[in-house]
Amino acid sequence: MFKRRFISQILVSLFTFALVVACTQPNPSNSSVTPSSEGSTTSRNAVAIPIGVAVAQTSNVSLLGQEQVIGAKIAEQVFNQKGGVNGTPIKLIFQDTAGDEQGAINAFNTLISQSKVVGIVGPTLSQQAFGADPVAERAKVPVLAPSNTAKGIPQIGDYIARVSAPVAVVAPNAIEAALKTNPQIKNVAVFFAQNDAFSKSETGTFQKTVQDKALNLVTVQKFQTTDTDFQTQVTNAMNLKPDLIIISGLAADGGNLVKQLRDLGYKGLIIGGNGLNTSNILPVCKQACDGVLIAQAYSPEHPGDLNKTFRDVYKTQNKKEPPQFSAQAFTGIQVFVEALTALDNKTKLNTLSLEQLRTELNKQILSAKYDTPLGQISFDSEGEIQQSQFYVAQIKMDADGQNGRFEFLK
Amino acid sequence: MQASFLFNHGHHSIFTAILNGLSIGSVYAIFALGYTLVFSILGIINFAHGAIFTLGAYFSYTLTGGAFGFNGLLANASLPIHLPFLFALVLGSILAGIASVIVERLAFRPLRKRGADPLLTLVSSLGAAVVIVNVIQYLVGSEIYTFPSDIYGRLPASINFGTVERPIAIRTVQIVIFSVSALIVSILTYFINFTRFGKALQAVSEDAITASLLGINTEKFITFTFFLSGFLAGLAGTLVGSSVSIAGPYFGIAFGLKGLGVIVLGGLGNIPGAVLGGLVIGLAEAFVPADYSGYKEAIAFALLFMMLLVRPQGLLGRSVIQKV
Amino acid sequence: MTMTAFLETYGFLIVSMLLGALLGLSVYLPLMAGQLSLASPGFYALGGYIAAILSTQVFPVTEGSFPLLELLLEMLLAAIAAAVLAIALGIPVLRLRGIYLAIATIAFVEILRVLALNLEITGGAVGIFGIPQPFQSQIGYLWIVVPLLGLSMVFLYRLESMHVGRVLRAIREDELAADTMGINPTHYKLLSFVLGAVLAGVVGAISAHFLNTWNARQGTFDASIVYLAFVLSGGSRTFVGPVVGGIVLTALPEILRGMAGISGLPIWLAQFLQDGRLIIFGLLIVMSTVFLPPRGNYTRTVTTMAMAKAAARQRETRETREGSD
Repeated sequence: MFKRRFISQILVSLFTFALVVACTQPNPSNSSVTPSSEGSTTSRNAVAIPIGVAVAQTSNVSLLGQEQVIGAKIAEQVFNQKGGVNGTPIKLIFQDTAGDEQGAINAFNTLISQSKVVGIVGPTLSQQAFGADPVAERAKVPVLAPSNTAKGIPQIGDYIARVSAPVAVVAPNAIEAALKTNPQIKNVAVFFAQNDAFSKSETGTFQKTVQDKALNLVTVQKFQTTDTDFQTQVTNAMNLKPDLIIISGLAADGGNLVKQLRDLGYKGLIIGGNGLNTSNILPVCKQACDGVLIAQAYSPEHPGDLNKTFRDVYKTQNKKEPPQFSAQAFTGIQVFVEALTALDNKTKLNTLSLEQLRTELNKQILSAKYDTPLGQISFDSEGEIQQSQFYVAQIKMDADGQNGRFEFLK
Repeated sequence: MQASFLFNHGHHSIFTAILNGLSIGSVYAIFALGYTLVFSILGIINFAHGAIFTLGAYFSYTLTGGAFGFNGLLANASLPIHLPFLFALVLGSILAGIASVIVERLAFRPLRKRGADPLLTLVSSLGAAVVIVNVIQYLVGSEIYTFPSDIYGRLPASINFGTVERPIAIRTVQIVIFSVSALIVSILTYFINFTRFGKALQAVSEDAITASLLGINTEKFITFTFFLSGFLAGLAGTLVGSSVSIAGPYFGIAFGLKGLGVIVLGGLGNIPGAVLGGLVIGLAEAFVPADYSGYKEAIAFALLFMMLLVRPQGLLGRSVIQKV
Repeated sequence: MTMTAFLETYGFLIVSMLLGALLGLSVYLPLMAGQLSLASPGFYALGGYIAAILSTQVFPVTEGSFPLLELLLEMLLAAIAAAVLAIALGIPVLRLRGIYLAIATIAFVEILRVLALNLEITGGAVGIFGIPQPFQSQIGYLWIVVPLLGLSMVFLYRLESMHVGRVLRAIREDELAADTMGINPTHYKLLSFVLGAVLAGVVGAISAHFLNTWNARQGTFDASIVYLAFVLSGGSRTFVGPVVGGIVLTALPEILRGMAGISGLPIWLAQFLQDGRLIIFGLLIVMSTVFLPPRGNYTRTVTTMAMAKAAARQRETRETREGSD
């Protein structure tokens, strides 16, 4: 009895599922393109080249994913206006990964097998990358990580590279800048968001630099990115009279921490890690943001035509300075477009099968140099980014405490 | 060098930790008030409470004339009106109360009408929370929104409870939140114990069937309870939002889990208990030594766990619920 | 769409759906004895860490695929560890009932999560990555998951028709009466709790390989409620409910994603299906709980909730109101 009803229920649910997805043909208006099924070669003259973007458009990390979507869309617009890949436009296909590993893997699978993208920019979190990148590696699809900074990302495989510099490089510059501002600094308190992979790696670099510079690390305080109240950590740290505080966290928690430090009377210097390099922190700490030093892998002030174009489009749209996450997503798309163009100059893209195209594209990506909004970048053989410029900025708030700028420190 | 935090600083530190704890705890307390109210009347946990809390903060923000960012359907939109903070707070909370009533109609009432297991409300209210959070995101994106900095007038950023040499600073906004929680508890306690309406509410909560036989319109009281709970959630969301900014659609959800700890610790359904529970957890967190600050998150749950084993009815609950 | 393309796109999802069914069963097992335990994600996380640590740090590196035998060994160890922890946890917490048990188990899951974030061996926030693969493709996991689900279902089918099953049901209907009939409810409650934990631990061990990585974000409070939704939306009178619920609810967000790509849809609708799919998902969860499950109680929580309420409202009545609503 049970068995029969049970089996029929399972069958019905599986069948319905199969039916729904089987009817799922790519929507021309939505996720168009490449007709080529494996092995066959088709003319790709009129159709746009599909590039996948798999970032967290929903869930509690969507603040970051949303910035990446904006950056990628600007890139699509800018490069298609410039003629795309030797006249063939590109077409971005977005798949939401949400905030978890399962979501990232599902999004990658859909992009790879159904949308037949030539490559993927994503996912948002390093943890998601450890889940989803092996899937792309096995399918031999090039992935450019726009914001995965944890150790070990490019080493996942040959097809995985990143445009987000690992924190080890960015952090020490900020401490040097702080020492230049105030050579008397002795006691340093360090704060970090322990549930965030990025902040956890970054704080290690900061702490090591503090010790290398023979400064006195008086305390290490942990918090969570979901925390809003830092009263206890701030008082604990302030009891030890630090004259430099270093924060590794994200926008909301980092901004609140800066604000509460100032509200509770801390007067010394503050360094914000790379996670605080976003104009999103300005409304949170308002006037209290003023003077905070920020370690940057991207500066809106970076000279260069492309950055200017990017920055202008972003500012018209969003009425604020572009954040690093948008710039990195833009860069991810740019690298794909330039590598595709270079590849097309060698071998016409429409003579290649999708598999060949992905493999050749991956080789091409790793072998060239790119002049991006992040500055000059290239990749080593593992796919690790070689970025030439890093910046330290100081936040300058306007008198009303509403708007501010990241001012480039020389 | 960092030795034991208590010995080094003596009474000064203990006093600091107590004030810190009260400051942190007041946020937990204000979150938990509406949460526990629904439990006290209906005996169910409303997982949508955190989402209503968020919603209230967004309503008040909109009413103060705040604009939205580029993402979402309502890109760059804002209301033409700029209400003063206090009005926005009240009106935003009323809207949150209405939202809470709608959630009741859709996710609670049908189950009650059918005599279904109240267990199902855990899932249906969580579903409602998923809807609310994602609607917010769909409409206004995930940006961080903040109230203007002048909403508390000329109050200083913090007040020093220590001496000039050894300051113990507490942020003023936390003191406001603490005072409001205390005020709400007093009003609610009076309201429930000393008014006709409150007595009828009690009757409904003790035994809905008898109450309805006595001519009390139970549905009306349940609707009112949800409205009040939503109103308190909106009030709490706005005040907490004014303290730490509205950090996206998941803002209130982050408090939900710890809020559960708070209301169980104080005694499920016990209104003063919610405040006491909040303060106890705040204090416990404040006394975690700096070296173990990574474990601070677990304190609320460790306390909750032990409390359930020793005294499941919570700090202020009286009778024994566990049978035999 | 060809079969190969279908499997490439949805192989991961199909395995996820069956894992969802197994997790639904792990919540269902304690519920058979009327115990609303939300501890499954905790045991799931534990099982995952055991597999992740063993396969990346303990077992020797092998050429090619990860040996299936080692995977089975991990599953066994995860089962043992989950059982031991479940006994240690179950003895004190199973004295609690209804919502109190649910909350105590939520606290347990949260404490485990914070531990995982702080310990060295679990890799903190980054977690453990580069977990080796026993199969060439994701769909290959069916070789492990299908037999496991089949065995679990046969086991539950047998269990429900056996003496033990009847005892569990008696406890669920009326613990006090079961007690007076000479049954020791504690033993049976603990048994069903441990079985649920073992299943969750084993699924965790498989999932660590399946997801390539494991971290403290696996098995959290959200997951607790999602697994509960698997059981309740499918119906918890028999083991069929959680299996169907787990399959359908795991697939739902992906079905919505797929529907966004159906040709011929108006652009606004396609856009909404993609961007607003979690709104629809939430609505469907509400609707499935409100409309689908049959009348009646799954556990005696009505009574326990009423009791809890009475306690909280400081009533002196200690009468148990079993059987009344």
